[in-house]
Amino acid sequence: MKCRRCKKNEAEVVLRRHNAVFCRDCFLPFFENQVKRAISEFGLFSKEDRILVCVSGGKDSLVLWDILLRMGYKAEGMYIDLGIGDYSEQSGEKVKTFAVKRELEPIIVDLEGEGMGIPGVTGTLKKKECSLCGIVKRHFFNAVPKSLGHTVVATGHNLDDEASRLLGNFLHWNKKYIEKQHPLLRETQSGMVRKVKPLVRLTEYETACYALIREIDYMPYECPYSRGATSLVYKEALNSIEESVPGTKARFLFGLLGGELEGLGRKREERGAGGEDGEERKCSVCSEPSFTELCAYCRLKDEVEKKREKGKRRVQR
Amino acid sequence: MIRVKLIQQKKELQVPGPTSVNALLEEIGAKKTSTIVVCDKRILTPDKTVEDGMVVEVISVVSGG
Repeated sequence: MKCRRCKKNEAEVVLRRHNAVFCRDCFLPFFENQVKRAISEFGLFSKEDRILVCVSGGKDSLVLWDILLRMGYKAEGMYIDLGIGDYSEQSGEKVKTFAVKRELEPIIVDLEGEGMGIPGVTGTLKKKECSLCGIVKRHFFNAVPKSLGHTVVATGHNLDDEASRLLGNFLHWNKKYIEKQHPLLRETQSGMVRKVKPLVRLTEYETACYALIREIDYMPYECPYSRGATSLVYKEALNSIEESVPGTKARFLFGLLGGELEGLGRKREERGAGGEDGEERKCSVCSEPSFTELCAYCRLKDEVEKKREKGKRRVQR
Repeated sequence: MIRVKLIQQKKELQVPGPTSVNALLEEIGAKKTSTIVVCDKRILTPDKTVEDGMVVEVISVVSGG
């Protein structure tokens, strides 16, 4: 099969939703163009912004860091070492290798050093890993860029991530979350940094093709705690539909973003990066925006410390 | 035989060739929308034929949890 654009080279990437097949040389400008479109369509950021890219070592976030650098944006990478054994070790290595090749240095947050490594915290509190991980990540995704002067935080969420999240929210009628879903969440007066998703127009298949063509060595394995996650069930369902009806995922997601459902989806100026509705104040410990005296992260840290202290006293007795 | 490396499963299969990438994906129960087949750092489109003696990598693109 020949590339439909140059009609010369052997095709490598099949995009059924665009009714297109590309060779690697023609796929790369297509990919960059989709990122460009997302940035301008949703007003994500400009060349003046300092962007902090949250990198996990997986394909999407490393691809995002790569393309933003190639497009001339000021983009730095931040890796949160969750302390999940071999998984975190290998993921961290991928991030470091990526950065070294580009003569960059990633910002690394070491949770173990904070006494907040995910396995240790879950063991202490007997709570689900993924919800704790979410609290921890949300905290550092805001606190780190704020302290280092970044104006924007970018994550590698792609079209599949967003469409599956939307499906899950529709299936459970989580109207509040549907309203909040957008590739741009503005900074707020209370201190939330702007959050953006520049890969929202690209599927996982497309980001993986980009990573392979650009020879980005990423972590191919998933977090050991993600087994059986509901988001994977929704992705599988959407991929089954997509096989028979190409373009479904994109139409589903962009329908919402384009305002298909009146009353759902907030006006752009009302859409902030804050959490729930209500009056935001500052956490009395870390000064991050919070609806309560202590933010979710400091409450968690406090809970962990108290439990560990209690455990120590019991051992001493 | 074709050597098929299933990257995420850390498994290797032997499949008789020649066969198309499409048929190979069907045989191992993988979806075209969420899987990439690679040989010598090149991505193979579903119409491509895989011959005996070739080594291919099957990569799932689904991530997250």
